[in-house]
Amino acid sequence: MCNANDTQPRLKRRPVGRSVEHLEQLMDLEHGRMSRDVFWDRDIYEQELERIFARCWLFVAHESQIPKAGDYVSTYMGEDNVLIVRQKDGSVRGFLNTCPHRGNKVCFADLGNARQFVCNYHGWAFGIDGALKGMHASSAYEESGLDKSAHGLHPVAQIDSYRGLIFATLDPQAPSLAEYLGDFRYYLDAIFDMDEGGTEFIGGCVKSVIQCNWKFASENFVGDILHAGWTHDSGAKAMVGGPVAEVHKFPEQSYHVNFNGHGWEFNQDIVGNAATLGDKEIMKYLYVLQPKVAERLGELRSKMIGAISSCTLFPNSSFLPGQNTFRTWHPRGPGAIELHTWTFVNRNAPQAVKDAWRKGTMMTFSPSGVFEMDDGENWEYSTRTNSGFVTRQQDLYLGLGHETRLTDTGLPGNVYRGQINEANQRAFYQRWFDLMEAPSWGCVPQRDVATMEVKA
Amino acid sequence: MSAVARLPEIPVDAETQRRIEQFLYREARLLDDERWDDWLALMAEDIHYWMPTMENRRRADKLGAYALDRGALYNDNRLDLTRRVSRFKQPSAWAEDPPTRHAHVISGVEVYQGERTGEYVVHSSFVNYRSRVERDNDLLVGRREDLLRAVGDSFQIVRRKILMTQSVLMAKNLNTFL
Ligand code: FES
Ligand SMILES: [Fe+2]
Repeated sequence: MCNANDTQPRLKRRPVGRSVEHLEQLMDLEHGRMSRDVFWDRDIYEQELERIFARCWLFVAHESQIPKAGDYVSTYMGEDNVLIVRQKDGSVRGFLNTCPHRGNKVCFADLGNARQFVCNYHGWAFGIDGALKGMHASSAYEESGLDKSAHGLHPVAQIDSYRGLIFATLDPQAPSLAEYLGDFRYYLDAIFDMDEGGTEFIGGCVKSVIQCNWKFASENFVGDILHAGWTHDSGAKAMVGGPVAEVHKFPEQSYHVNFNGHGWEFNQDIVGNAATLGDKEIMKYLYVLQPKVAERLGELRSKMIGAISSCTLFPNSSFLPGQNTFRTWHPRGPGAIELHTWTFVNRNAPQAVKDAWRKGTMMTFSPSGVFEMDDGENWEYSTRTNSGFVTRQQDLYLGLGHETRLTDTGLPGNVYRGQINEANQRAFYQRWFDLMEAPSWGCVPQRDVATMEVKA
Repeated sequence: MSAVARLPEIPVDAETQRRIEQFLYREARLLDDERWDDWLALMAEDIHYWMPTMENRRRADKLGAYALDRGALYNDNRLDLTRRVSRFKQPSAWAEDPPTRHAHVISGVEVYQGERTGEYVVHSSFVNYRSRVERDNDLLVGRREDLLRAVGDSFQIVRRKILMTQSVLMAKNLNTFL
């Protein structure tokens, strides 16, 4: 069971490299301490590419981005460029965006509709199912006995979706998506199943580069509402004329919840996040919707639909309810990320409300957004200070909210009292550590026990 | 992309051309000097200030690189611009303190008659260089298409479309106007 990954048929991997030693010395989560090396060390980063990004289920597209056969988006799984393509039978497949001939990139567009993908180098042509169909000067290959059926685009190992969100993994041994998300699906439904029409992505993708380690972004969204009251003071004053709500004063009405390293911090004010867009139509829409969501999903989740909250799906996709930004932090070396952001809305929302969200999301959470503008610099310098040899030997604090675990809420997952907490961040790094230590999925300890059916 | 782009290109007299160039150069200086309110005063009440993001699509894809209902770094009316300016002015705008140094370079100004009297279609190129703290330097280059309206003895900007060359913004933020 506990072996290094089996190699996929056409992906001959070198045997898994020696893993970085003494990772356990890098964190003492019990006492809320962790090393800065995890944000700086190149070997650790290379191991993350193998054991986090080539292993976990990663968000790759929303169903609504590729409605018709041949529709595709180009995205990343770690640093691996992949094409996510709608098939003629309505299913979705994913392929590495690289030609199995001499390795050139096959598709240079970010998105579009294709009948085939033709490589620019020597003209190998692939169907939308990834199969090698033909090529320029094909007789030369026939004479050499090339087996076309064995030279299609490399498929991702598994692909599946939950409530419109498509995920893929590059590891054939990965557990099912339902197991990977586990009880976290209960909370995901509050946003992606609050309305019977489900959600859609609108308005395209805004992309930018931040010179920070990817985990600073992920850990921020997994549980750090604390920073909002300070970092985003200027953005809140700009949008609503006053400071961010003082959530630290109301721990009884808010939670940290996590499962398998995914985490969500939230309170129950229904519209706290949405209010920062400063748009009345959006507020009205949410208030009218809330009682219907209560009927559909119960009282608690109906109060999450636009509340002060944030969420990260381990390892590197995050979203904000209410502001309706969904984003993936693609790693680009230990010191950089490429940020891709989208706007999501309920498919059944009126067009005017969708338009207001598309605008509001970009006004607040895009590189020019009045909130996001102040995040990047924090993460860049939390990363860059560690170039100092002595600096990076000073550990960091991650100890908020010890002894806040709640066991009597009846809610799924690990539940903690109070939104101002670092419980989710600790759970995120525990999951990170478990994956980094394990030579294969079979060796990853199952700390969280699911209560929900794993067949979604 | 916009209606103004399809108008016949009827040139204006040299004096109008000169006055509009001066107007744009002054606008750039106001931004370099962080004179946000003075800059805002150059925007008409009905301003549409738009900077779409660029998608890489095949030439055959009729949807093109950008559109009004897709991604944008700015898609602003007067209220939106006012909100952005009010963030810049907050003492807690941490990413502006110490101040960023801006250089807005405007060139290649072409002026044509607008659809209505007193309106002008103005094309220009921009280079924007931002330097922050020790070594944060960001460069953006692109082209603008403005609709200007004569107001008193000056002008106001009624529409601005900003097209940048980057599809992935190679910076942590965009803390200026272009
Ligand atoms: S590298 Fe693609 S056809 Fe040769
Ligand atoms: Fe933030």
